Amino acid sequence: MKEFKSLVKPYILWSFLLIIVPLLLIVLYSVTTGGNSLVNIRFTLENFKKIGEPIYIQVFVRSFRLGLITTILCLLFGYILAYVIAQFSEKAQSILILFVTIPMWINTLLRTYAWISILSENGIVNSFLEVIGLNPVTMMYTDFSVVLGLVCDLLPFMVIPIHTSLSKMDKSLIEAAYDLGAHRWQAFWRVTFTLSIPGVINGVTMVFLLSISTFVIPKLLGGGQYVLIGNLIENQFVSIGDWNFGSAISLLLAILMLLMINITKKLDKMEGGGDL
Amino acid sequence: MKKFVTLVLAVVLALSVMTGCGSNSTEKATLKIYNAGEYIDKSLLTQFEQEFNCKVVYETFDSNESMYTKIMSGETYDILIPSDYMIERLIKENYLAEIDWSKITNSGNLMAQVMDQAAYDPAHTYTVPYFWGSVGIIYDTTVVDAADTEAGWDLLKNTKYAGNIYMYDSERDSLMIALKSLGYSMNTTDTAQIDEAYQWLVDQRDTMDPVYVGDDVIDNMISGNKAMAVVYSGDAAYMMTENENLEYLVPSQGTNIWYDCMVITKNCTQTDLAHSWINFMLDADNALANTEEVGYLSPVQSAYDEMCVSTYEGVSAYTIPDTSNPLNEVFGYQDTETKKYFADVWTKVKAY
Repeated sequence: MKEFKSLVKPYILWSFLLIIVPLLLIVLYSVTTGGNSLVNIRFTLENFKKIGEPIYIQVFVRSFRLGLITTILCLLFGYILAYVIAQFSEKAQSILILFVTIPMWINTLLRTYAWISILSENGIVNSFLEVIGLNPVTMMYTDFSVVLGLVCDLLPFMVIPIHTSLSKMDKSLIEAAYDLGAHRWQAFWRVTFTLSIPGVINGVTMVFLLSISTFVIPKLLGGGQYVLIGNLIENQFVSIGDWNFGSAISLLLAILMLLMINITKKLDKMEGGGDL
Repeated sequence: MKKFVTLVLAVVLALSVMTGCGSNSTEKATLKIYNAGEYIDKSLLTQFEQEFNCKVVYETFDSNESMYTKIMSGETYDILIPSDYMIERLIKENYLAEIDWSKITNSGNLMAQVMDQAAYDPAHTYTVPYFWGSVGIIYDTTVVDAADTEAGWDLLKNTKYAGNIYMYDSERDSLMIALKSLGYSMNTTDTAQIDEAYQWLVDQRDTMDPVYVGDDVIDNMISGNKAMAVVYSGDAAYMMTENENLEYLVPSQGTNIWYDCMVITKNCTQTDLAHSWINFMLDADNALANTEEVGYLSPVQSAYDEMCVSTYEGVSAYTIPDTSNPLNEVFGYQDTETKKYFADVWTKVKAY
């Protein structure tokens, strides 16, 4: 296979053009002013100073809070689902995992529009409530609708890595725990959960990073008043045209994400080293 | 592995042959048009392609600003259909080519009201009107008291309807409402007035709990989800034909009268074909088909007259805007400072 090594070269060029160059441009834009043309740029740190204004800090805080809520709920439901799936025979498992991924074949936008018609004032849920004689509930444009949309959209990213670690686990370890006198709960917590931690960390990282940078779902299910980091960046680029400020926010978000990935990696190592 | 490489090569070869054929057969002239989404009767494009033996590449944008971002990033089109204030900006930035009115033989079909008072391009050197209209409030007559509507824009602050309104998620339209309600010009550059309008919007947000929406307002109002919404007249006309309980209100405190026009860009290589398309759109029958499909007000007199007695008979949103009210204004060009100020104010209203 040695001769195929040179096949990597085009890929290096490719990723340089499509990943490194745009990243450098973002860095350049974030520390300059002078609009979108690169002709009359001036270096400045104004853009980063602007992020420090309370209004933008608040947007960051709100995004992280929403990301945290989404991640916790995804972990809760995702773990239970992955655990249940892992109890089935191998053949059944692959079918069940397929069911988890099927929604991902449909475009996020379409799924979100489906939620709108389910949750809206005169939507499916409220029509049903009316039929059985209950008062309609406002669900659209609330925290509830946004979190629901995000959890449903991101659940597969939690289920799949957790399921992978659970299914790779040696079942005899649990039997050994029982033999040594562990309760069901102890066996689960000390053996199953501990061994699935790499999957959990992967899932949590993915779900959290995706949920703090999302902008379509909050916009559609939460309305325009639901300004998150993603919406803020989109606004700067698309409607306001302040690419410099938009780049500064993107850069800060990217740095925060890198830090988080680093921390979770360290956690992963600590857990792995401590228990095995 | 060798087999795999051969396969890849075969596919690449096949593809290159196909694209080769493609470029040979499309010797036809191509016209690239960039318009707002759901803003045309698409059968007209096919009809134009057949009549003029050409190919039309039709793309859509969701706001004037995103259109601007795209063309500034280097994408080129022959024809754009932006709004007044954006046209003013494009003229100032020397992006548009002049219209040769001698080639627009259907120009006599245009109504005089549309051609007058075009502050964005007084002599129509660069612009040919496409659709026009106003901004107003659409409300559900089964929920909203007729007497309350006399408050004009302040209806949007009537706490009787708290939690029951949609605002339009755009800094221009929202600040226009606040400025008009306070009795100022919507083209103000005075930051004190803009700050006052900001306070108006903040008060409204805190007391009325509005939802800031985009085009999803159309479906929401048709299904009667809330009592009222800020909308463009053309969308209102469509909503009113779908739900007969809706009524359209243009506040007497003044509103935004807007014009969307067809313009030819400096990059246009098919000048004759571009003029032919503009002329084609002003043809009485074509303009009729277009306005009927889209629901926006046609600048072509005969099409307008026909719609008023057929599809949009009795639909109050399908009426010529009142250009005689001096409080009704057209959005003008904003310098970068004011534009940023508007944007910041709007972010603050929404994000807190």
